[in-house]
Amino acid sequence: MASSSSSGLTFKLHPLVLLNISDHYTRVKSQSQPPHSSNGAADSPTVPPRVFGCVIGVQSGRTVEIFNSFELLYDPVTHSLDRTFLEKKQELYKKVFPNFYVLGWYSSGSDAHESDMHIHKALMDINESPVYVLLNPSINHAQKDLPLTIYESELHVIDGIPQLIFVQASYQIETVEAERISVDHVAHLKPSDGGSAATQLAAHLTGIHSAIKMLNSRIRVLHHYLLAMQKGDIPCDNSLLRQVSSLLRRLPAIESEKFKDDFLMEYNDTLLVSYLAMFTNCSSTMNELVDKFSTAYDRHSRRGGRTAFI
Amino acid sequence: MDDSTAKVPHRSWEIAQKTWEMANNIDTVDEIYKYNADQQSGIQAAKPWEKNPHFFKEIKISALALLKMIMHARSGGNLEVMGMLLGKVDANIMYVMDSFALPVEGTETRVNAQSQAYEYMAAYTESAKQVCRKENVIGWYHSHPGYGCWLSGIDVDTQMMNQQFQEPFVAIVIDPVRTISAGKVNLGAFRTYPKGYKPSNEGPSEYQTIPLNKIEDFGVHCKQYYSLEVSYFKSSLDNKLLDSLWNKYWLNTLSSSSLLTKNLNKQRNNYTEEVI
Repeated sequence: MASSSSSGLTFKLHPLVLLNISDHYTRVKSQSQPPHSSNGAADSPTVPPRVFGCVIGVQSGRTVEIFNSFELLYDPVTHSLDRTFLEKKQELYKKVFPNFYVLGWYSSGSDAHESDMHIHKALMDINESPVYVLLNPSINHAQKDLPLTIYESELHVIDGIPQLIFVQASYQIETVEAERISVDHVAHLKPSDGGSAATQLAAHLTGIHSAIKMLNSRIRVLHHYLLAMQKGDIPCDNSLLRQVSSLLRRLPAIESEKFKDDFLMEYNDTLLVSYLAMFTNCSSTMNELVDKFSTAYDRHSRRGGRTAFI
Repeated sequence: MDDSTAKVPHRSWEIAQKTWEMANNIDTVDEIYKYNADQQSGIQAAKPWEKNPHFFKEIKISALALLKMIMHARSGGNLEVMGMLLGKVDANIMYVMDSFALPVEGTETRVNAQSQAYEYMAAYTESAKQVCRKENVIGWYHSHPGYGCWLSGIDVDTQMMNQQFQEPFVAIVIDPVRTISAGKVNLGAFRTYPKGYKPSNEGPSEYQTIPLNKIEDFGVHCKQYYSLEVSYFKSSLDNKLLDSLWNKYWLNTLSSSSLLTKNLNKQRNNYTEEVI
């Protein structure tokens, strides 16, 4: 299998797809188990079920953005995906998300199979070059990367015969603001609305703290590498050095007029908000004082001091 | 517990998460994902919620359902969008496993399902049954872009009707605009009281600001429903994926500055106008 694709397409994947596939897999797995051997019995070597589905999203120019996905059925007769089911689902999704098109399909497993090409080809009349998203559901803690690969198909000539083969494509995780917040929310499971403002803030700061820690550790790795290279422990790699240098050269980009403007605005906003909060707090205290005062020195009627102040 | 407890929690948020999970009974076990049809129809026949209008106290939402709702609500922009929830009940806890969008768009507080939406709903649930999504419709959700999570008069009517004929049923309201501006998920789950029921005075649950043009609608109906305690759950695979997602993702958290989110500026201007 070739290592990487040469189509030059950029793939952007939304976390929703990830959760959707994961949920589909978990559901099928837990429901296919007989209910009586529910807990314990040390995960018997049952064959993990494979799940199938369709990924939908938008392609604009060279960028493919995968937004959503839905489940599909595997048809054992034709060894392909159930076509009528797909069309029905597609129609349903079309009504809600009219901008999304079928981009390809997903499945679970550790590696792309020979038979997967069959399914892949069957989709080609819907989308000329479908993508194949493969999620490896086996839990492996040593591995730090996402167990997800995106394949494209490419026409290669092998032994004189043109053949379609799967090639791996690189992808990046793309989120919109609302999505990021909810992913943060479920990933770290912050206390929901019940939590007080203080814990909310703490959770937010913890998130940023761990992100900065991560950045720090990455920079340290780079630093160690460069030091080792300087000492001569590691052979000098010019292309990598060039990358590091181009990365460093980006730093002064932050010092521009525009940035200063925006930063100042943000800073002032924050000050203004805290000022407003102080104001509110102050007037609330004032109000309390007035209440107490009118209770203590209530002479004639109950509405004595109150109305005068409000 | 899943295997992740075996490794030493070396990052602070991990420890925080673990303690919080323990304190709040968050289980990442996959037991929830099983569906017991007999048990569900048994509950359906017993109708324990008829005796006590305050029967359901908690609602648990899956990570998937939350993300689907947020994405859908956001795609609607300033229009209200609406969808359905799939799930089940267990004792006095409602579980929302999944959600799906309906092809209905409303303006302001006027979301109401029409007949085509019902057709869509039937077609969708039927197709979902074929892919191991065995749960039934357990409620509906809609968005209140920018004006907080509560039920309007029409929402109360819709929910009341559904609670008569479709029990168990829950209404979820989500505010995508406030979710973005506050940086936390703004979501509420509600059930209405039957007509004529006087709730014991419990005081306002949580203070929230409501725009002036909506306050009347809010005030008239706010005693006709109560909100459920919301929590979230995820499967062990979700947990693991989200963990590794973080490795790719920390950049986004760090780089997502409110400087870059343009709509914040717009929103600020809106507020300024309101204040003036």
